Amino acid sequence: MTATSFDPVLLAVLSNRFESIVREMTNTLLRSGRSAVLNTARDFSCSIITAENELLASAEGLPVHVIGTEFLAEAMTEIHPDFAEGDAFLHNDPYLGNTHAADHAILVPVFHEGEHMFTACAKSHQADCGNGLPTTYMPAARDVYEEGALIFPCVQVQRERRDVEDIIRMCRRRIRVPEQWYGDYLATLGSARIAERRLVELCDQYDRDTVRSFITEWFDYSERRMIEAISQLPAGELVGSATHDPYPGAPDGIPLIVKVAIDPQAGTIELDLRDNPDNYAGGLNESRACSTNNVMTGVFNSIDPDVPHNAGSFRRVKVLLREGSLAGIPEFPHSCSMATTNIADRLVCLTQAAFAELGDGFGLAEGALGMGISYAVISGRDARFEGAPYVNQIFLGSTGGPGGPQADGWPTYYLPVAASLMYHDSTEVDEQKYPLHVHVKRLIPDSEGAGRQRGAMGSEVIYGAKGAPMMIAYSFEGHENPARGVRGGLTGSPSDGWKLDREGNRVDVPMATAMEIEPGERVVSRTGGGGGYGDPRARDPEAVAEDVREGWISRARGMSVYGVVLRAAGGTLVVDEAATRAARARARACT
Amino acid sequence: MSTRPSTRFRIAVDTGGTFSDVVVADEGGGELWVGKAPTTRERVFDGIAEALAYGARSHSLTLESLLADTSVFIYGTTHATNAIITGATARTAFLTTEGHPDTLVLREGGKLNPFDFRHPYPAPYIPRRLTFEVRERIDSEGQVVLALDEDHLTDILASVREQEVEAIAVCLLWSIVNPAHEERVGELVAQALPGVPCTLSHRLNPIIREYRRASSAAIDASLKPLMQGHLDEMALDLRGAGFAGQLLVGTSFGGSLGVEDVASRPIYSVNSAPAMAPVAGKVYAPGERSVIVCDMGGTSFDVSLVRDGYLKFTRETWLGGRYTGHMTGLSAVDIKNIGAGGGSIAWIDSGGLLRVGPESAGATPGPACYGLGGTQATVTDASVVLGYIDPDYFLGGRMPLSAAAAREAIERNVSEPLGLDIERAAHAVLTIANEHMVSAIRDITINEGFDPRGSLLVAGGGAGGMTVARIAEELGCARALVPRTAGALSACGGLFSDIVAEFSISRRADTNRFDTEAVNGGLAHLGAQIDELFTRLGTPPELQEREFFVEARYPYQVWELEVPLRSGAFAGAGDIELMVEDFHRVHERVFAVSEPGQHIECIYWKGRATARLPKPALATLGGSADAPPEPTSMRSAWFGDQGPLETPYFRSEAFAPGHGVSGPAIIGEPTTTVVVYPGWRATVTETGDYLLTAAP
Repeated sequence: MTATSFDPVLLAVLSNRFESIVREMTNTLLRSGRSAVLNTARDFSCSIITAENELLASAEGLPVHVIGTEFLAEAMTEIHPDFAEGDAFLHNDPYLGNTHAADHAILVPVFHEGEHMFTACAKSHQADCGNGLPTTYMPAARDVYEEGALIFPCVQVQRERRDVEDIIRMCRRRIRVPEQWYGDYLATLGSARIAERRLVELCDQYDRDTVRSFITEWFDYSERRMIEAISQLPAGELVGSATHDPYPGAPDGIPLIVKVAIDPQAGTIELDLRDNPDNYAGGLNESRACSTNNVMTGVFNSIDPDVPHNAGSFRRVKVLLREGSLAGIPEFPHSCSMATTNIADRLVCLTQAAFAELGDGFGLAEGALGMGISYAVISGRDARFEGAPYVNQIFLGSTGGPGGPQADGWPTYYLPVAASLMYHDSTEVDEQKYPLHVHVKRLIPDSEGAGRQRGAMGSEVIYGAKGAPMMIAYSFEGHENPARGVRGGLTGSPSDGWKLDREGNRVDVPMATAMEIEPGERVVSRTGGGGGYGDPRARDPEAVAEDVREGWISRARGMSVYGVVLRAAGGTLVVDEAATRAARARARACT
Repeated sequence: MSTRPSTRFRIAVDTGGTFSDVVVADEGGGELWVGKAPTTRERVFDGIAEALAYGARSHSLTLESLLADTSVFIYGTTHATNAIITGATARTAFLTTEGHPDTLVLREGGKLNPFDFRHPYPAPYIPRRLTFEVRERIDSEGQVVLALDEDHLTDILASVREQEVEAIAVCLLWSIVNPAHEERVGELVAQALPGVPCTLSHRLNPIIREYRRASSAAIDASLKPLMQGHLDEMALDLRGAGFAGQLLVGTSFGGSLGVEDVASRPIYSVNSAPAMAPVAGKVYAPGERSVIVCDMGGTSFDVSLVRDGYLKFTRETWLGGRYTGHMTGLSAVDIKNIGAGGGSIAWIDSGGLLRVGPESAGATPGPACYGLGGTQATVTDASVVLGYIDPDYFLGGRMPLSAAAAREAIERNVSEPLGLDIERAAHAVLTIANEHMVSAIRDITINEGFDPRGSLLVAGGGAGGMTVARIAEELGCARALVPRTAGALSACGGLFSDIVAEFSISRRADTNRFDTEAVNGGLAHLGAQIDELFTRLGTPPELQEREFFVEARYPYQVWELEVPLRSGAFAGAGDIELMVEDFHRVHERVFAVSEPGQHIECIYWKGRATARLPKPALATLGGSADAPPEPTSMRSAWFGDQGPLETPYFRSEAFAPGHGVSGPAIIGEPTTTVVVYPGWRATVTETGDYLLTAAP
């Protein structure tokens, strides 16, 4: 089973050591980051890339960030062949390997006794990146110029460990609430510098040849794990398709397709995205990093989660992309402002749902998508603090996670690309930091996609502005095309949103826009439920009874959709087994 | 505090799920006795009494005469922690602000592996069907947006009564800024459900972040019926057995509190046992700048940190797993816990990599060498194979082990698949197991900006002395200490603990517009609470200690750092500047960057009261180190690539202060085993503990 001359114990020890360094980077960024998107939503990633530009380690990173960071290091070694110790580079260029312009990556080349050994990469989503509107998501941007972000194609931001002040001044001039940006820059840089320190210590402790042999062995080991995981899948050619809701610039919605070829004998998976539409004049175009990592996330969601996620396991997955496709390699100057969310989320879901076609036990349902109005970027001036300006993304109500072969969806899913990894805001912290008042925050009963394993419930959030008007930039999705179930599982409830005027009357609003609300007005966000996995009438009746007792589903829905009849006993509700058997038999007879 | 000076003994107990450890300090002879007995679940005192009676007999005393002559009895218990883990807490209702019922369901989000969809979403601490929405709302400035609807509340309380709940937790939004509604709910609960214990969140844990405050209140309320009964019973049993001294209970602050205080705030006793280990570590390593305390048992490994004589605290203590368990929300001694111990199982994954844990063989069937039917290879089996554990002297010879079964398990599960000989395979298992512990230590030290290399490692627990030298080597620590009482480290901590209480207040103050009067008012309020405590305890001024802390952050951050204040009041702008400078320094240490010139946002203010209790002096042991210690036998043992080596085995009786042995050597203590690796030297300290030092 093992074909290695490398000390197997050292292999385990060093792999653990690298993971531990990435955890330390992660902790630094999370705890010291300024904007909510970092210190709460964890919309960042930390990784260690080898001198050969291969992804080595990335513990607890958001899937959408993790895969593809090696493209950033490639840009560094190509553009700056003379990079030196003490340098740092700022890279947010989606046409050069980055995810989208709002993700600022800091790359620090790590030298040991003069030799380049690694590149430490910390990438973080900014609260603002200088866009035309006070939001990092510009769904309607017709091109990169209208999008307006400052773009740094891997430019030098530190030399001899000191800032290149020109770059800092540019950012301070063009990014809203520059103090917040600078704090985030410090946090991101600190994270990469901490990795540098630890990696040098590691090379001091184990000599460089040992470390290099380790890297080779670790990739080989990871590849073996991946081959083993793929060998457990049935052979097959699958097609996954979905439609993104109509959006500015795409009035008929956007059809998406992935073709998956699984060869368990060869131990390979091929993902073909080339049949997707061309780039369009809107902000949803995918960057190369995102197209790649979204479908790979769909694969990793469908196999043994213990397989390491690095260049070794990636060798067994081939992603075919087309230049000029909106789910491929973007053609400049098409805007990739929203490359990390909308189409990205669709690609994750349609890939994992395609795997479910392999049979019971495989793949996942679709999770609910779209950043609801409960994840808006809010901005304005805070009357409580002498009109101090603020801009930040809030995270108040999650979408519902997908049902899987073994477990129900999680109600803290947030997005397919975030996969429950992120934290969400405390209502009290948000109300203290921003002039915001949260009237309601709760899960929505009966919103789950029913299934043997059900999707999670969506959530309802109602909030308004305090003291002064507030700009709310948001873009929800999954209203016309909600999360679908698989293998007989049902679709989750659609997302929705509207405004309530001062009298409490409902006012319709677009799915994606930036609008100002006045004090006394409220916005209502309803995120979608996750899709179900398997026939709801095969769900354990006791689990249905528990959902009814907890108020997640109504008694009537338990009966009509799940075929479970409950009766009152001892002050609570219990399963009426005979009646349930009969109801389920009747339902089977009817279909 | 009626400490009677005439009494001779102080007793500390640590009642775990399996064993109860007792430590008795004899002020007369200056001696410490350690004892152990199985925990008796039906009547916890029975097990304690057995362990005490055994020790008493060997000192020509009876249990009754021992207890009658005891001034202080410090009771450490995992009763509350176990009740939470096994779901044996009271049926509790949760009352919260209307429109926000899912606080306990949603927690704060987060997950460990984003690609893992195989685990169910964890249930809330209190089920939704026992959650009730109170019609009221206060905003972040303390303004009443919606007045408390008392009629509606009355209806709710009628339903609560119908549900036959045994306890009630109340957490309303912003009760920390304006507690009027929460107080009124408390009054109406007392009227409608007399005798049902109730916890109000702002009184227990006045912090911002509704989940943490609600979770504190929910856990506390749910423990009240159980812990009040349990502590009453303990007090009664002790009194019945002749004890007339002061009964204290260990807390998660790394101190103890009067039994009545813990009965009214039982959450304080949650996780108290591991919080006592660093208290012992501090005593055993006086004057050290940085001490890492490890407690290694059969199924879990706990690490904590003492810096400059201060225990490290955290506000993020999870019960039952990070993200998926429940957060206590309280400021408490920071314990990093991993499920690694003697029972951890070694296995080979599908890529051919050796893994150890997280599965554990537990106590039954236990490691293969127990001969109870276990066939999988565990860390304990590896230690037997390498010759570190004498199969005939395990638990002092009370439980003979099968060396053959250990070898067979390692051979079949590790050495054959990896193609290594048995000893190398066993050594590999220990290396991987150690690596997990090293990671846990690195997480708690390096993440806080502390370099473990300069630290002293203190090892407790039955397995502590066996692996500590190797862990020290990996971390680059040159020194490790294995106390003679390592097998009962938490109980020892209890013995040396003080009465510690914490009080906190949320009062936002930004240093660029600092309201000195308001902050001083808040600090004065904390000071008054501390004074009240000291008065109640009758603590004389020379034994009182007051410390104040701020939890602060830079603008836009959301996670606070704790910074000690230089005094309990701000005299002027200079004091504020000093605090800001202290904050920059802490931020630089923890996060490698700081932002000089930036103002900070102060969120919480905290006061810690310590009433120092008289401590038993660590006795200086007698005996002479003139003659070299005699080993009881010579056997072969393996140390990495070096082996087999003829290794002397010693029993602890062979040693006196000043004695030293160079590795390889193995020393059997009744409750632990000290393995002295080649290249290391063990020296017996004046107090009979083992200081391990790496050869320079």
